[in-house]
Amino acid sequence: MILDPSSLLGWLKGPFFAACATSGFSVLFGLHSADIFLASGGAAVGWAVFQSLPQSGSPAFATFLAALAAGLYSEIAGWFRAKPATVYMIASIIPLVPGGGMYYMMLSTLEGNSAKSVEIGMATLMTAFSIALGLAVANAIGRIVFTSSLRGGKRNRQ
Amino acid sequence: MQPEDLLLFAADSARLMLESGGETYRAEDAAMGIISSQGGVEVDCFATSTGLMLSFAGEDGRVHSIIRRIKRRGMNLEKASRIDTMAKDLQTDKIDILEATRQLDSIERMRERPAVVKMGASAIGAGFFTLLFGGSLTDAAASTLIGAVVSLVILEFQHIRLPEFLTSLAGGAIAAFASLATQTFKLSMHPDTITIGVIMLLVPGVAITNAIRDTIAGDLLAGLARGVDAFLPAAAISAGAGGAFAIWKLLQLGGIG
Repeated sequence: MILDPSSLLGWLKGPFFAACATSGFSVLFGLHSADIFLASGGAAVGWAVFQSLPQSGSPAFATFLAALAAGLYSEIAGWFRAKPATVYMIASIIPLVPGGGMYYMMLSTLEGNSAKSVEIGMATLMTAFSIALGLAVANAIGRIVFTSSLRGGKRNRQ
Repeated sequence: MQPEDLLLFAADSARLMLESGGETYRAEDAAMGIISSQGGVEVDCFATSTGLMLSFAGEDGRVHSIIRRIKRRGMNLEKASRIDTMAKDLQTDKIDILEATRQLDSIERMRERPAVVKMGASAIGAGFFTLLFGGSLTDAAASTLIGAVVSLVILEFQHIRLPEFLTSLAGGAIAAFASLATQTFKLSMHPDTITIGVIMLLVPGVAITNAIRDTIAGDLLAGLARGVDAFLPAAAISAGAGGAFAIWKLLQLGGIG
C-alpha cells in the first residue's frame, strides 16, 4: 500500500462506514453512551482487518481473522469496562455477518434455482462459522489472559 | 430467602437474559451461580432459546425445580450485561440477595428507547451499510430514507404484536419495492446496494452467527433452535421481496413503469 494521503483516506473509508453503520445498530441493540463508541470501534477494527486481506484468497479465512481481531478488541473493551465482552462482540461483528447471504440464499430458493441457493447457502454458513470460530478463539484468549495471569482485574477487584 | 423465591429469582434472571439476547451458556451460568451463592447444591440448568428448566437441592435436602417458557426474543445487550454483572456480584458477595432482587426489578423495568431514536438509528445503519457496500451518496440517501420507513413499519407491527414472520415479510417487500422504484425512475446506478443496506436491518445475520456460537459452546439444542429462528425471517424477507418483484412485473406488463 502506498502511503499518500488520498489513498490513505480511501482506505479509511471502509472502517469509518462500518463504524457508523454499527453505531446505528448498537443503539438498536440497546447499548448506552460510551459502549456505542466502543462497539463501533470494534467494527472498524474488524473491517480494517477484513479489507486488508486479499479477497481473492479465502474469504472464510479473512472473515475469521477479522472476527478474531474484533473479538480480541471486544475482550479488551469488556475488561476495561468490566462488562461481558459479548456486548461489544455482537455489535462489532455486524458488518461481517452474512445477512445478505441469508437473503440471497432464500431468494434463490424461492426462484427455484436450487443450485445457486445451495452455493450461496454454503458460503453463508462458512462465513457464519468463521465468525463464530473467530469469536470463540478470542474468547479463549481473553479468558486465559484476563482470568489467570491478571486475576484481580477490574471485575474481580473488591 | 425461601428456596421457592430463590428458584423464581434465578429462573427469572436467566429468562430475562435469554429474552435480551444473551448467550445460552451465560444465562445458565447466571442462574446456577445465583443459586449456588445462596447455598443450593446439585444445581442444574437447561436452557434453550424457547424455554429453560432449573433445579437444585436446598439445605434441607428437598429438590426444587421450575420451568420457564421464553416467548419474546429481542436484543437488549445492556440488560443482558447488567444481569451478568448482578449474578457475578452476588457470587463474589459484593451484593446480597435482597439487593440483587432489587437490581433485577430495575433491569426488568428498564425502558426501551423511544421510537424516534430507533428510527434514526435504523436510518443511519441502512445508509452507512449502503456506502460500505459500494453505493454512492445518492444511494445512501435513498437507503437512509427507506431504512427509516422500514423501521417505522417494524416498530408499528411490533406494537400491535404481529408475528415476526409478517414483520419480515412486509420489510422485505418494502425494501424491494423501493429499490425497484429507484431503478425505474433512474435515481440510482446501484439499486442492489440500496436493497442490501435496508435488508441488513431485517436479516438474521447475528442470529445465524449466534446459533453457531451456541453449538460450538456445546449447547446443541439451543444452537438448533436459534438456527431455525434465523432461517424463518430470512425466508420471510425473501418471500416479501420475491412477491414485490412479481407484482412489479405484473404492473409493468400492465403498462405502468
